[in-house]
Amino acid sequence: MKPIKKALRWSLWLWLSAVIWAAFFWAPPMQGFAGLYGESPQTGRIFFFHVPVAIVSFVAFMVAGFCSAWYLWKRTPGADRAAFAAVESGIVFCVLAIVTGAVWAQVQWGAAWTWDPRQTSILLALLFYGAYLTLRDAIEDPEAKARISAAYGALGIIVAPFLFYVLPHLVPSQLHNDPGSTTMSPKILVVFLASMAGFTALFFWMHRVRRRVLALAAADGDRLVDETTPDMEGLTVE
Amino acid sequence: MWRAISTWTAEVRWIFAKEWRCELRTRYALNTLGLFAFTTLIVVSMALGGPVGLSADARPFLAVLLWVILLFAATAGLPRTFVHEEESRTATQLRLAARPSSLFCGKALYNLTLIFALEALVTPLYLVILEIPVASPGAFVLSLLAGGFGLAVGSTLIAAMIAQAGARGPLFAVVAFPILLPLLKITIAATLAAVLGEAADMHLTLGLLYDAMLTVAGLMLFPAIWNP
Amino acid sequence: MTARLTLRFENLHRGFGRLRVLRGVSGGADAGEALLVTGSNGSGKSTLLRCLAGLAVPERGTIECRVDGRALDLDQRRRAIGYVAPVADFYRELTTAENLDFFGRLRGVGAEAGRRLLDELGLPHDRLAGALSSGMLQRLRWAGALLHRPPILLLDEPLQNLDRRGREDVLRLLDEHLASGLAVVANPDRLDLGHVARHLDLDG
Repeated sequence: MKPIKKALRWSLWLWLSAVIWAAFFWAPPMQGFAGLYGESPQTGRIFFFHVPVAIVSFVAFMVAGFCSAWYLWKRTPGADRAAFAAVESGIVFCVLAIVTGAVWAQVQWGAAWTWDPRQTSILLALLFYGAYLTLRDAIEDPEAKARISAAYGALGIIVAPFLFYVLPHLVPSQLHNDPGSTTMSPKILVVFLASMAGFTALFFWMHRVRRRVLALAAADGDRLVDETTPDMEGLTVE
Repeated sequence: MWRAISTWTAEVRWIFAKEWRCELRTRYALNTLGLFAFTTLIVVSMALGGPVGLSADARPFLAVLLWVILLFAATAGLPRTFVHEEESRTATQLRLAARPSSLFCGKALYNLTLIFALEALVTPLYLVILEIPVASPGAFVLSLLAGGFGLAVGSTLIAAMIAQAGARGPLFAVVAFPILLPLLKITIAATLAAVLGEAADMHLTLGLLYDAMLTVAGLMLFPAIWNP
Repeated sequence: MTARLTLRFENLHRGFGRLRVLRGVSGGADAGEALLVTGSNGSGKSTLLRCLAGLAVPERGTIECRVDGRALDLDQRRRAIGYVAPVADFYRELTTAENLDFFGRLRGVGAEAGRRLLDELGLPHDRLAGALSSGMLQRLRWAGALLHRPPILLLDEPLQNLDRRGREDVLRLLDEHLASGLAVVANPDRLDLGHVARHLDLDG
């Protein structure tokens, strides 16, 4: 791997490690997270992981959606691979968001899952990702596979904002009543933004690696085919 | 003569007529939908133990159960529109003869009439068996229309996708639910509000908005799904 | 010189995953000509016809189709062809007349054209398509392909299941078509069509 890429990779790991350290030791306790155990500001630290991971899963959703739409427009195989990679990477963040959310809810409120609107939304998002992968698996012809899963992925462009933005605001939520203005103290804000940046970078790095693996597999398939089948030069006999 | 193209509305009309003509001769979808809905209705009624009215225990379930019946009946009966074309190998001719947009609209219209017929059959039975009074009938009907519209259009679109894949049975449910459940969440809330006489405007508006977006998306995506 | 009616394909490649079916096939036909495509099973005859019909897109290569001197795009090409193939079937719940009526209306063709073709091919009007014998079904496929009098006929094993009378009927219709149109005929063996101007053997 080229030196600059190695350096970037290392700095990403360092960045994320710093974020983890800061979340636990540098940021002040988060006030205002009253719950089952009374005022429990230390449990609020999971905020630095849960929220960025959930936001990134939304970003992944939209990336998959736009790559799918691009494929439908231009039919470049790279776009289809990008959509597929975004879904695969996005699922990781989706699961992380669900798990961290459930852990937080359990500790804070004594109930890991209450069908809170945002919990429901992220679960539906996971179902959407899963359906995309199932659909891909069910179609054998490669051209149809790319085209039809791209159509489904493109639907994500309308479904995702509905899930992540509209549904949670319909019903007042116990777990997620977002305050109108974020009154975060500077230190908390810094760690939050740093975490946000780190996880976003992590997603795009995972996405890039996954895309390259898919591209290599595709090229390998083509090369294998080209090597083993002779060309039929034009056979018209007049 | 090959250059003569029928008008778009004529195509839609002919496709719609063909769907119903075939259906009335086999009654496959009607039987499936009807039987499924009726059976589920009986199960629901048994589970609730008889008329529940607006009792406090039953209140959260009233709207949900109705929509569960409709959703599962739709899942059982609607995907056939496109699967049937592929299986009976008429899809090839359709690809050559019909415009994708009119095909989509014709079949969506057919599914719409099926769903509305289903709702007209199931809902009164549901209300009567469980003795549920409806406070705002207008909003109630509107919520059924909004949800039914989304179910029909969404099912038509997803049916087109899975018709070209293998393993059709459970695949439709897996692929369709993430698209349909957000809408149902809204229409369930709207239906419940209409039953209880509370404000349902916001939910109805959002439901109709989702329907509109789904329809536009369907019209834009269907040609790519249908033709290579 | 631009021909009025011509179909040309060059260097078509099409496969299914690792399986290569068409590997750089070229050919064509002009008005009044029939291109006969032969080859053993799996040599790609049907795939070639599907690509020409616009039902499948080749991975590489070009297809050029000109009618009345104008080049057609994919959608127009689909409308300009008549397709006879084992994978093109009819609605079993509808009668022969209703089937042709339906597909005719979609193409802007009146009901009389369908009835006339049914008579020419010796088919009953009121029989359900699901109750047709395989030979009659094949005749119905021919009727469906000729309904809108397309300039181009793509025929995949067009004589299968036909008795002698049926063969005579459809070959006569093909003759009439080739007075001004062109055809691509795929068949396992050589056929005596009378008009065969070119031959493409996918086994070579």
